[in-house]
Amino acid sequence: MALIEVKQVSKIYNDNSIPVAALNEVTLNIEKEEFTAIVGPSGSGKTTLLNMIGGLDQPTTGTIIINDTDISTYRTDEMINFRLQNIGFVFQAYNLIPVFTARENVEFIMLLQKISKEEREHRAIELLKAVDLEDKIHKKPTELSGGQQQRVAVARALASKPSFVLADEPTANLDSVTANNLLDLMEKLNEENKMTFVFSTHDSRVIERAHRVVTLRDGRIDSDIKQNELVAEQK
Amino acid sequence: MLLALAWKNIWRNKKRSLIILTAIALGLWAGLFSVAISMGVWEATVNATIDRNLSHIQIHTKEFKEEKLISNYIPDGNSILDQIRKDGRIKEVSGRVLIEGMASSPTSSGGVNIVGVNPDRESIVTTISNYIKEGTFFETNKRNPIVVGQKLADKLGLKLGSKIVLTFQNVDTTLTYAAFRIVGIFKTESSIFDQLHLFVNKSDLYPIMESKPIISEIAIRLNSSEELDSVYSTITQKHSSLMAETWKQLAPELEFTYEMLILELEIFLGIILAALLFGITNTMLMSVMDRVREFGVLMAVGMKRIRVFFLILIETFVLSIFGGIIGMGLGAITVWYLSDKGIDLSIFAEGLNAWGMPTQMYPMLPIYFYFVLVIMIIVTAIIAAIYPSIKTIKLRPAEAIRTY
Ligand SMILES: Nc1ncnc2c1ncn2[C@@H]1O[C@H](COP(=O)(O)OP(=O)(O)O)[C@@H](O)[C@H]1O
Ligand SMILES: [Mg+2]
Repeated sequence: MALIEVKQVSKIYNDNSIPVAALNEVTLNIEKEEFTAIVGPSGSGKTTLLNMIGGLDQPTTGTIIINDTDISTYRTDEMINFRLQNIGFVFQAYNLIPVFTARENVEFIMLLQKISKEEREHRAIELLKAVDLEDKIHKKPTELSGGQQQRVAVARALASKPSFVLADEPTANLDSVTANNLLDLMEKLNEENKMTFVFSTHDSRVIERAHRVVTLRDGRIDSDIKQNELVAEQK
Repeated sequence: MLLALAWKNIWRNKKRSLIILTAIALGLWAGLFSVAISMGVWEATVNATIDRNLSHIQIHTKEFKEEKLISNYIPDGNSILDQIRKDGRIKEVSGRVLIEGMASSPTSSGGVNIVGVNPDRESIVTTISNYIKEGTFFETNKRNPIVVGQKLADKLGLKLGSKIVLTFQNVDTTLTYAAFRIVGIFKTESSIFDQLHLFVNKSDLYPIMESKPIISEIAIRLNSSEELDSVYSTITQKHSSLMAETWKQLAPELEFTYEMLILELEIFLGIILAALLFGITNTMLMSVMDRVREFGVLMAVGMKRIRVFFLILIETFVLSIFGGIIGMGLGAITVWYLSDKGIDLSIFAEGLNAWGMPTQMYPMLPIYFYFVLVIMIIVTAIIAAIYPSIKTIKLRPAEAIRTY
């Protein structure tokens, strides 16, 4: 049984007079420990798909099943709690609480989980070490570079011990060296901690790093290539 | 940590927070100060009434309270008088003879309350002697002197030195009359009082009434009005057959105006707080709007809406209470300082004296007003927090975070 099952999900935005089909009958399974990139040009539906999987928005039709549970059955606060316990989020920007230090940002999510103070502190420091920010523990987001902020966001995403991490264009605001470093970090966490990552990007250098690449075009899945096939393709 | 977050959030936009803090503090300070001035004026008015004729505590027989007949005099009145005078909390006691009667001039007549007093003692118990406009308060060797109000003198067409005839019932209910000569004319701020009351030397009354020296009213002046309740209870215990009343019972209209005043002042503070409410709501709304993305992220990663609600509530609360404490502190210090020093109103002295008001004004504020205010501020803060909080928890994370 797959960790994430997206079944014939469509999303139609009706905000304007012309309805926009951001997703069109998308079906996709993501297994535990995968390192998947959702790619496609801007406007192809990447964010919409990640929002559906993350329970930040509801599909117009179709179902999302995570850990065998249809998440459309959750009420708003149940969904928030589900996200807290199961999903780590990294967004493109504005991830962190500006008035908190790096450590406080990482701790905050564990506070929401009602984890004890000692464990919070201990785990926050461990995680910030893991993302190579031991020396920035007491820095506020404004005192950190864009890459460092995203690393804190990754640390925070892991702090809640989620089943998987969703990252929507985590490297969009980073230069290529920093982007590569972030991918190194994510890959390391995927390999060492067996953490499942689903991230979106339209940066070809980042796409190369994925173990599975799902390409969206106009709200439909255009291609879905796994690592062994990727390797085969490169040969 | 929620509390720490709220505190840090408040100081994120220092300028904005300081502006609203200042507004709250100034609003409350001004409000408290105005209230204290109103209370001060009211107290001055009450004091004027007490001073003029009421005194702090009066004693009568129960029968007299029902029917104001001279026959309902206080048995052994003069020995009770002497006994009460020994109490250290009491400044002076005046024994009065009260008779309802008729005052006549050659041209007119009218019903009056004849007040027989010992002039020396009376001028300590009340300040009626200060209201003399013409003549003196019994500083004379004339026979049967009388002091009347300006209003009555005008009504009867009498002047200083005129003769006036009083007709009244004796203790044995027979009618008697006697002629008096006006030696003083007073004018208080109450024209009704001036028309209905006239003062005579009580020692002049006894021979006319062919009576022993009886008194029907004991008026007590305290050293300090704060001892009102304790002296009152001592007297009611000792003289349970008599009826003692404090000025509050004697002049219920003063108590009524006091309650009305308090109500008005509470409404006044309410209006100030309502104005502040809009300011606070607006500030919080701006602050929330600035943080839409952040709240979106917080709710996305798992912060429950109730917690977000509380975060806004706490921020609003801390801001309001903080401003409230500063404002109330400033107000309390100002009032405390001026309640001791007073405000010199001598620039307006002429006008005020005409109204029988003192030229020195002492603002004052009962402690419980601060409690009322604290509760009002808390309520204001809660109401102010509701709209911004609702705005926040209605945010849909997907939309709040979206960076196109
Ligand atoms: N809230 C919305 N209202 C209306 N249209 C939307 C909304 N969100 C996304 N869209 C549209 O849906 C399509 C997919 O958008 P999105 O998922 O953001 O794509 P991507 O993340 O790949 O750039 C776009 O055409 C976009 O304009
Ligand atoms: Mg996007």
